[in-house]
Amino acid sequence: MMTDRPTDIKINADLLRPVMKSGAAWYATVIVSGALLLAGVFAFSYQVRHGIGVWGLNRPVMWAFDITNFVFWIGISHAGTLISAILRVTGAEWRRPVTRCAEAITVFALMIGALIPIIHIGRPWLFYWIAPYPNERGLWPNFRSPLVWDFFAITTYLLSSIIYLYLPLIPDLALLRDKSQGLRKKVYSLLSLGWRGAQLQWRRLERAVQVMAIIIIPVAVSVHTIVSWDFAMAIQPMWHSTMFGPYFVAGAIFSGIAALIIAMAVIRRVFRLEDYLRPVHFNNLGLLLLVMSLIWFYFTFAEHLTVWYGNEPAEKMVFQSKISGDYAPLFWTMIVCCFLIPAPLLAFKRTRSVKGTMTASAMVIVGMWIERFLIIVPTLAQPRMTFNWSSYRPTWVEITLTLGMIGYFVFLYAIFTKLFPIIAVWEYKEGLAHRDAKPADELAVAEN
Amino acid sequence: MEEKIIAIFDTADEAIAVVRRLRREGVAENAITLMSSEPIHDYESGDERPSRIGGFAIAGGIAGAAAAIALTVLASKQMNLVTGGMPVVAPWPFGIIVFEMAALGSILSTLGRMIYEARLGRRLSDYDEIIFDGRVALSVQCADEESRRVVKRLLSPPDQAK
Repeated sequence: MMTDRPTDIKINADLLRPVMKSGAAWYATVIVSGALLLAGVFAFSYQVRHGIGVWGLNRPVMWAFDITNFVFWIGISHAGTLISAILRVTGAEWRRPVTRCAEAITVFALMIGALIPIIHIGRPWLFYWIAPYPNERGLWPNFRSPLVWDFFAITTYLLSSIIYLYLPLIPDLALLRDKSQGLRKKVYSLLSLGWRGAQLQWRRLERAVQVMAIIIIPVAVSVHTIVSWDFAMAIQPMWHSTMFGPYFVAGAIFSGIAALIIAMAVIRRVFRLEDYLRPVHFNNLGLLLLVMSLIWFYFTFAEHLTVWYGNEPAEKMVFQSKISGDYAPLFWTMIVCCFLIPAPLLAFKRTRSVKGTMTASAMVIVGMWIERFLIIVPTLAQPRMTFNWSSYRPTWVEITLTLGMIGYFVFLYAIFTKLFPIIAVWEYKEGLAHRDAKPADELAVAEN
Repeated sequence: MEEKIIAIFDTADEAIAVVRRLRREGVAENAITLMSSEPIHDYESGDERPSRIGGFAIAGGIAGAAAAIALTVLASKQMNLVTGGMPVVAPWPFGIIVFEMAALGSILSTLGRMIYEARLGRRLSDYDEIIFDGRVALSVQCADEESRRVVKRLLSPPDQAK
């Protein structure tokens, strides 16, 4: 039996420290991300004032940075709820300090992803026209449109992810209620719904989280599949592919894990949570990232091989522009960032360290953003009618909006860590209790 | 007169041992509440009803799917959409919306049922915040003076009862 368990008082103090006290690193994060967010807000207000023509979009490339960012952020959102749900359903004990970091990523990434179509419509104040409700204009969404499927899928996933984040948060909100004073106490009292830790409440909470984990896995898979269908339903070169659904889902999980590793590494450093987010977590997530890197490469190869072998002229033109044409530098950067460097780095235990996984993850994030861009722009820039070919250059507005979204995400995440424990306190304690209850030999097998 | 007695224990095992003694003495199961900062899996409540969260999740899913079918089919028929000769009611794309709304219905009903079954959303009473420092609180509801004496006796050592 293990007996080296830290006391609950120490665990509470360590894990509530980020909420109770703010260090210089946290303030620096908020200031830098807040500045990026403000820059993004400025670019957005400029775009609203002057119209969407301030973007670099021009016929035939009418989707570019905006939809790249949309697909990218929806992909990042797969970090949390999906990974957390899979780890919960499979009973992976090491998940405990990881799940909330991941679930929060999902909610904030989805919020940003859902915002982008609203920005893109040009007149964002009319965004509610997409919602199906009786109106005097006689407008009604076409349920056959993949963009309407997006609306339903993202709304479902966002609401589900918020609930899935909130449910396991309730006991920790009760802890915060008991440890805080004044206005904070009132807010936490309200949010904790009168939680008192009765065994009936624990059992119901665990049951509900278990049921939700099972429901949310297919929802998460459906969301990125539907995002892929935004493209695959169009008969465009290199879009009209049956494997786009799984290809997008694999890419989403890939970039999601990378985002999670980066978030964990930053949290670990900023809040000094080295005892909780340990190398074993980075090792395990690094292994998952390696697997996803291999799967992603397999999909990418299969997708491009069939296009090359089919030799259909319109498809071949797009293919050629990626492999050796205008987009080749981006294409090969993507291959380097998503596979050639991360895979060897993650394959060896020695380099699958905190720094190693963090480096690989940063590369994957860059590579996956480029991948989204390369799926969208080359196809649009080279339609079947060659006289209509064009190219695309982003303007400062699109670049600033993109940076603003990154700032917004980091800002929201930083605020979240200030309001709620970023590591689930009760789940961590429960994990220690499970560990203590296990015989030493069984524990050794589990850790190996 | 009804009274609640709360005893604090250092470990879950001690609390469970006392709960067993209380049960043996005939204290009603619904009068006993064991509170802790993490779930105690060794504790088995005697009269707890099985959870219906799973059933409600399924029912919520069916309700969500039905709402989606109504929305897509009725709305499409009403608005006379030009579909180029394709059927107005299209099962494949509508199925996607049905799936999403079924999942949403399922998740919302899971949340609602969980809040109801866990008796959340009520005023906080009969509780000691010391549980979050790793202690276990046992609350026993005593219907009369006699049961209060029995409970106090069982919650030994005596200084643990407050």
